[in-house]
Amino acid sequence: MSPAKVRALALALLGAAAAARVRAEPLPPAVASYQITCRLDADKKIVEATEVLTWKNTTSRAAATLRLHLYLNAFRNTLSTFWRESRGEHRDGRIPESWGSIEILRMTGSDGADLLPGMRYISPDDGNPHDRTVAEVVLPRPVAPGETISVAMDFVSRLPRVSVRTGYKDDFFLVAQWFPKIGVLQERGWNCHQYHASSEFFSDFGDYDVSIDVPARFRGKVGATGRRVDERETSGGRVLYRFKQNGVHDFTWTADPDYLVIQDSFREAGLADVDLILLVQPEHESQAERYLRAARAALSGYGRILGAYPYPTLTIVDPPWGARGAGGMEYPTLVTGGTSWSAPSSVQRPEAVTVHETGHQFFYGLIASNEFEEAWLDEGFNTYMTDRVLASTYGPNHVSLDVFGLHVPLGIEIRYPLDPNRRYFEVADWDVLASASWKFRNRESYSRQIYSKTALTLATLERLMGTPAMNRALRLYADRWRFRHPTTRDFIAAVNDSTGRNWNWFFDRTFFSSGIVDYAVAEAETEPARPPRGLFEQDGRLGPTLPAALAKPRGWDSRVTVVRRGDVPMPVDVLLRFEGGHVYRSRWNGEARWKRFRVAGGPRLIEAIVDPDEKILLDADRTNNGLETRDDLRAATRWSARAVFWVQNMIDFMTVAW
Amino acid sequence: VNRSGPRALACFLRGLQMSLSKPYLAVALWLIQLLIASVLILPIGNSLHAELDRSPMAERMVANPDYGWWETIRRTHPDLLGNFPDVATGLLSPKGLRWSELPGLRGIGATAFSLVLLALVAHAFALGGMLGALREPSSSLVTFGREGMRRMPAFLIFTLAAFAAAFAAYRWIFVEAGAALAERVKDLHTEQAALAVTAVRLAGLLLALAAIKILADSVRAVWVTRPDLPPVSRFFFGVGGAFGRPLRLLGVLLLYAASTTGLYVLWLVLDPSAGGEARFALVPLILSQQVFVFVRLLVKVGYYAGISEALTRTPSPEYSYVAPDAPASRSPSLDGG
Repeated sequence: MSPAKVRALALALLGAAAAARVRAEPLPPAVASYQITCRLDADKKIVEATEVLTWKNTTSRAAATLRLHLYLNAFRNTLSTFWRESRGEHRDGRIPESWGSIEILRMTGSDGADLLPGMRYISPDDGNPHDRTVAEVVLPRPVAPGETISVAMDFVSRLPRVSVRTGYKDDFFLVAQWFPKIGVLQERGWNCHQYHASSEFFSDFGDYDVSIDVPARFRGKVGATGRRVDERETSGGRVLYRFKQNGVHDFTWTADPDYLVIQDSFREAGLADVDLILLVQPEHESQAERYLRAARAALSGYGRILGAYPYPTLTIVDPPWGARGAGGMEYPTLVTGGTSWSAPSSVQRPEAVTVHETGHQFFYGLIASNEFEEAWLDEGFNTYMTDRVLASTYGPNHVSLDVFGLHVPLGIEIRYPLDPNRRYFEVADWDVLASASWKFRNRESYSRQIYSKTALTLATLERLMGTPAMNRALRLYADRWRFRHPTTRDFIAAVNDSTGRNWNWFFDRTFFSSGIVDYAVAEAETEPARPPRGLFEQDGRLGPTLPAALAKPRGWDSRVTVVRRGDVPMPVDVLLRFEGGHVYRSRWNGEARWKRFRVAGGPRLIEAIVDPDEKILLDADRTNNGLETRDDLRAATRWSARAVFWVQNMIDFMTVAW
Repeated sequence: VNRSGPRALACFLRGLQMSLSKPYLAVALWLIQLLIASVLILPIGNSLHAELDRSPMAERMVANPDYGWWETIRRTHPDLLGNFPDVATGLLSPKGLRWSELPGLRGIGATAFSLVLLALVAHAFALGGMLGALREPSSSLVTFGREGMRRMPAFLIFTLAAFAAAFAAYRWIFVEAGAALAERVKDLHTEQAALAVTAVRLAGLLLALAAIKILADSVRAVWVTRPDLPPVSRFFFGVGGAFGRPLRLLGVLLLYAASTTGLYVLWLVLDPSAGGEARFALVPLILSQQVFVFVRLLVKVGYYAGISEALTRTPSPEYSYVAPDAPASRSPSLDGG
């Protein structure tokens, strides 16, 4: 082949490969865009900034007011709704009394009118007169449908010591929920909730252009939402970074002189290329590849089912010791992970959180449901997908024991998706899943219902309808609602439309119910068939003589009773296994309280199992799902022997010190 | 005058030798531990049989623990396990035991708590019996029982005092110090620095526990070996013995700890309880477990014998008069004459 032909072939192949990659798709039109210039005072832990908000009224009604989130005011004092609800305890234990706030110093409209006098704090959720996390601004004139306005603001954000998502620890800064951010105007009015102890965020898509001025010691150690487009020296030995990202609905940045910056990339045929930026603490450097592999697994696993991640970058932040409260959070194109210095390789410590937070780029980032009102649509759906990705990438997780701060793996498997979500069962009837985030009985119920019940519900749905059908339903939902704000009804519609069946009954019994699912085998007996006794007709006369046909019955008579102990009916399979490899399988709609199966003169029954394929993962007690007809003492005896042994050792250990 | 005395290793080895020569002492300890353990095991065993014997899950559970099964049993039978696992894991955490969880102990947890008290009494009895029997050249299980009962009042007081001291050390050196440092530990720059702080707390606790143990064992050993002294003198002789030979006693204790740790490591490496699916594997499993316990108790008896040896070996290890060597070439004529 001539060199020219080889070159032509190579070019053709390269072209084909490039075509196989998905090009970045058009991002959504901007509704709320921000141009912000800020300056970090690392000693005072404050950010001074100027913001220009450009907002478009996309509803059919004029807007006479604007509503702004001022999230950092949740940390202003103990009177805020956040403090009252959390009672001073949150994800990292006791919240330190390190106060944060956001103060708007100037606010002017496009025409230069001073809007600040028309601003007041409101509390639409709980009426708390001391909460300052939502402000309403009366406009000089209403914003007409389709009209765009600009509002300029000067503000100062005081960062708290990291405890809940945002703040500082020494020179580590995670600057999140830090700027005045407009709520979402819907046809029914403003959707702009206060900052609650159990809720996250909701906002419109827009274009962000943010310049960050930091002291020189942070040079090269700044990460943010979007792509870095500029880096230059400024006066006073400082450095200015500029980040831009279109088509997102929040902006977060971080800085820490200790960061090790590791660049990598995600490349997979059929999906868009993504530059990965890992900002990792030096003591976790050995886990860098674990972080990156998890991020790649998430981009691949989610992207294959829900469509490609459309942004060019993904930044992964590893918070330092003492700032665990900043970990495990998601922001557009930037996520925070979290690990431990002693995280064993068999325990998916950085992997699980990285896959989960990267997954939020889809459920929250792209499919931007309302995290205040329907948190299960992002946290729960994401947990379900996280479990799928972790299971396919890594296999089962393992239990570890915290031995004086060191994580020791115990070799006990945690199988996805059931085991990590078992925590739901303890609070199964505490709340209806479909509740606003701040209306759950407590944070424990919130997190276990929102994350785990949703994950188990979707995994159950997947097993009932089949994985391919589930993938199609998810894809339809993702395609319909990419860059939009779906609700639960929209997801149900996508499921019904993609399968051509009505699944409303399923969601009524799961999302909209606090009922418990529990099926059990209450009875499984088998005995040799015996001839009947009594009086029998023979030659037209009733007498004690047994007809010859009944005199020698063969086989075994078996009886199985399956019961529904929970409130919620689900269709279940029942399997009866007999000697000789005979199997009888039946589908029961599960509506009645019990169902009995009788087999006369059949093979000997070995066992009866309800839901043998473990489809109904919401079943609160699987230990009662099967019964064997014969005793097998091995397991109990062996565990009793082990218990004796370890108690003997414990006694000795106990008495050793005195 | 010979001031050096026997070394810790020699004392420990001599103790092991004595333990092997009186194996019934380890048998007695083994029986006591087995009986106490049985009290706890009966409710566990019955529940396990009730839940597993006819369950298809049993197959999975023969060799390995099934996370889901245990989680469900813990949740559905709160009166059996209660918060016992939390309390047990709390003991190993950097924060330590959470006192507020103790009143919540139910089922096995509450029984275990009661058994601690029973074990204290049994421990006092066993130590009296063991040290008494070790002292007599020809002794038997009867000697063990008699000596145990004879020393019981005093040994119970010593044991309870040592227990209280160990409890106080755990509380103040580990738990309260940890709570006081909690916020500062969060301010440390790295997790490794935080782990170092925990290690220092732990080392402080272990040192205190070792001191308490050496003191208690010294008092008990002297109490038995010096019956000629009045009680108050025996007590102070014991205290003096601990202060007089701290390194030697600590050496014996460390050798004991190292030997026991070695046995546990060996057990974990060999792990004879894992993997056996066949029904017959149960017997070897139980045998190997009990042989392990017995060997461990032989070492334990050896430790107490070693401590006694280190404190009271005759001639006294300190200030003992050693006769000068005989002249190398004595004239036979002198004897003969």
